[in-house]
Amino acid sequence: MTSVIGDLIKQSVQGDRIQVNGIKAVSLLLIIWGYFSVENFLTPANLSAIMYSVSAIGIAAVGMAFITLSGNLFMLSMAATAALSTIVFASTLHFGLPVALLSVSVLGILIGSIQGLVVGAARVNPIIATIAVASIVMGIGSYISGGMTVIGKGDASWLGIGKFASLVPNQLVIFLAFAIAANYWVERTRFGRELRLIGLNPITAAYSGIRVPRTLVIAFVVAGFSAALAGGLFASQASQGNLKMAAGLDFDAIAAVLVAGISIRGGQGKIIDAVYGAIFLALIGNLLLVHGLSFEIQLMVKGAVVVLAVIVAALIARGKVR
Amino acid sequence: MKTQITSMAANLPLVLAVALFAVFAVGLDNFASPQNTYANLQSFALLGLITLGLSMTMLVGEFDLSVGSMVAVAGLITLKVGGDDLVTGALVAMAFAFVVGTLNALVFVWLRLSSLVVTVGTMIALSGFAYWLAGGKIISTDNFDAGAFWDDAILGIFSARSLLTILAFIVMAGILKFTRLGRDMVATGSSTHAARACGVSIGRVHLFAFVLSSLCAGLAGVLLSISLATASATMGSNLLLQAVSAAIIGGVALAGGIGKPSGVFFGVLILTILNNGLSLLGASSAAILLTNGLLLLVVVVIDGKSGALLQIVRSKGLTRQA
Repeated sequence: MTSVIGDLIKQSVQGDRIQVNGIKAVSLLLIIWGYFSVENFLTPANLSAIMYSVSAIGIAAVGMAFITLSGNLFMLSMAATAALSTIVFASTLHFGLPVALLSVSVLGILIGSIQGLVVGAARVNPIIATIAVASIVMGIGSYISGGMTVIGKGDASWLGIGKFASLVPNQLVIFLAFAIAANYWVERTRFGRELRLIGLNPITAAYSGIRVPRTLVIAFVVAGFSAALAGGLFASQASQGNLKMAAGLDFDAIAAVLVAGISIRGGQGKIIDAVYGAIFLALIGNLLLVHGLSFEIQLMVKGAVVVLAVIVAALIARGKVR
Repeated sequence: MKTQITSMAANLPLVLAVALFAVFAVGLDNFASPQNTYANLQSFALLGLITLGLSMTMLVGEFDLSVGSMVAVAGLITLKVGGDDLVTGALVAMAFAFVVGTLNALVFVWLRLSSLVVTVGTMIALSGFAYWLAGGKIISTDNFDAGAFWDDAILGIFSARSLLTILAFIVMAGILKFTRLGRDMVATGSSTHAARACGVSIGRVHLFAFVLSSLCAGLAGVLLSISLATASATMGSNLLLQAVSAAIIGGVALAGGIGKPSGVFFGVLILTILNNGLSLLGASSAAILLTNGLLLLVVVVIDGKSGALLQIVRSKGLTRQA
């Protein structure tokens, strides 16, 4: 029995799993610390708040993980896509929730495929290309909304405040289902293996007959879709949409991916790791919030955590090379 | 043959800037008036400094994403620390910019990471810091004398601010042309390995480029806040987007090793004239944002194509014949 546990510990600190396992352990410690340091930390109300804050960001982080895994660093158009998506969601809500969700999905797939073609087929620098697309999307968004908040004339409460078995928010159920399906897709299918190999070395992958442009376009479509879905979740909470609603989503998704140790060099890490990263950051955000620290301090702590995670990941990578 | 192509490419920004100016001057009544030219040069002063610094990091084959948020932080520090004593504020802001640039370079050189990744972290941390400094308010000063000094018209169309920016371009062109450091920068951007083999201190080159980039963005922020006598957390937004576009239009290659301050000068003029002309035509800020995004997307695709062309030229040994 002890040897089994010993092996388990040995496995979890080995190689490229060390960072995500560290994040899981620290998350557990944060929960314990929260339980003792904050009154009402583990009450249903606060847990529900954490679940709501993790769902949309987690979906975006899962999408971001596809981009990072493919070796294309980050997609800096997620916040813009989600912002436009909140407006589209609110404007189509009077046709019913399914139509609103379908509209934002189409929007996300469209925006994602444009970036996929530009980055995957024309081989443009992904950071610059997605910054450009972000401003196009924001331009369209402020043209449509005129900078105002769009109030949805329909019922989005199933998605916004609905709970599964009156316990777990439907948003969290959607997030976890999406994450598990995405993880299975990358771990168990041809597409996933191709994505990982392209991330490890795109030139070798191309010479080996791997369908590079096709795979990259799919990765960007998934990321665009997940950004738009995150926007739909934001919009559903108050049945309204505006361009400021998803501000910071890029950073949150990048932070989740980086702290979970998905390698920025591409190819290494699992999609599901982004989920642990998102949960970890949601816990930190919640703890800072209940300790009464301001939004600006939260931003700075997140920035510091990201920088720290990048340094740790690089040091681990250097250690492995030696 | 090769020299012809290069000289054409080098003169393209100049030709485009003149053509664009001519089109707007003929089409719009007040465009070529001294007042509007002064206004154009004021926008040029802001964007020019930022683009000049950013293009030096691009020249050495790296990228500084933190320039936009640096503008806001430097402006806020100037007014917040300085109050009415803007000289002290400006000095503190410039010292801060120096430290950030040094940290950017040290972290990515030490960790052997892409500078994009490190400066994404700096960008997040700086914008968090900017929000914290501003505290949701617009910071202002009662000292209008300094602003008057920097902005009073000289010879009708210039100001101390725009003349300083033009001087910065001339100094940078001199450094690149006449100093060893300048030649080392071009060599590093063309091929890091070859430059290292020839005895170039890559770390020193990177340090210089990133400190310069941070200082330029910091100076732009300091002068902007002095000129407006106000500073806010959002005053650097969209500047990164415009700076990348201006640099690439000015002939700086994202891949590194190619680019001149003279080209960047006209690249910035093109963007300034375009945005000024569009707003005189009555375009909304949303439309201008959208145009800038589309423009960047087009120029990065062209940059990628010309980069591929250049590699073919290099691999066939055509550069040696010239």
